[in-house]
Amino acid sequence: MQKKEMFKELDPILHSQLRLAVMSLLLSVKEAEFTFIKEKTNATAGNLSVQVQKLREAGYIEVVKEFKDNYPNTTCCITAVGIKAFEEYVKALQEYLKVGQPK
Amino acid sequence: MQQNNKQMTESESLALISAMINKAKCEYEDTGLSTLLWGAVITICSLVHFTGLLLKINSIGNIWLLTYVAVVAQVFISVRERRRKRFTRHEDSAIGGIWISFGVAMFMFSYYTSIFNVPSVNTIFLIAYGIPTFATGYTRRFKPMLWGGLACWAFAIASMYTPTPYILLYSGASAQLAWFIPGLILRRRYLNAKKGNV
Repeated sequence: MQKKEMFKELDPILHSQLRLAVMSLLLSVKEAEFTFIKEKTNATAGNLSVQVQKLREAGYIEVVKEFKDNYPNTTCCITAVGIKAFEEYVKALQEYLKVGQPK
Repeated sequence: MQQNNKQMTESESLALISAMINKAKCEYEDTGLSTLLWGAVITICSLVHFTGLLLKINSIGNIWLLTYVAVVAQVFISVRERRRKRFTRHEDSAIGGIWISFGVAMFMFSYYTSIFNVPSVNTIFLIAYGIPTFATGYTRRFKPMLWGGLACWAFAIASMYTPTPYILLYSGASAQLAWFIPGLILRRRYLNAKKGNV
């Protein structure tokens, strides 16, 4: 029960497999193209598009749509809000692990 | 990654974060072409100049004009790589700035040394070669370039006690250690990564 309560404190935006993967990837780079994120996460374009939109709405990432060599190109980068949320998420995970460890 | 709504445990979340960070780290987008180009050009110029000096061919110094051809090739490579680049690392703009500064400084050094009679011109060049090479190796944690940068400085010290024509051998060796060999390693990694993605 205690564990379950701890998980409730985790950011629901980040506590999703694909969204967390996207955020972790974007944290490691300055910016990345949609195709690169898709390749690294092995996600489908549709699914990834939905999750990217959710992260954008939460203010965790910035999405820039432009043309590159006459083709539409989407670039994503993590925001300061996103970095803070990610750090808090990791902190919460670590707290959870501490609680889970045998004394 | 398809089960994106799956409830993860705390260990799974941490493992996923770690895996994704590693995936980004292991991504090789550096084709190694620029490094190979400059490693080859400086080695050729140094060795041809050295041979020319030994054979007492006065006009052989003009071989360094080959570097202007390399600048054109470099611009072509940079534009093509920029188009193909799918992500940017945090340190990319800093490293790019260092190499552009180095290029401008080398151009100014060349102009300055062509006007004034500067002793041990190659020593100054060797010191300069080491700066962006070491900085790139240090920032990217790429040991071959880190050691290459240190080799440039070691050769610069040695060149202070070496007769002029033989300093050109140091320039050639520096170009090999600082650029050509790291370039080969980068190229190999890039091609292997590309093969893995197909």
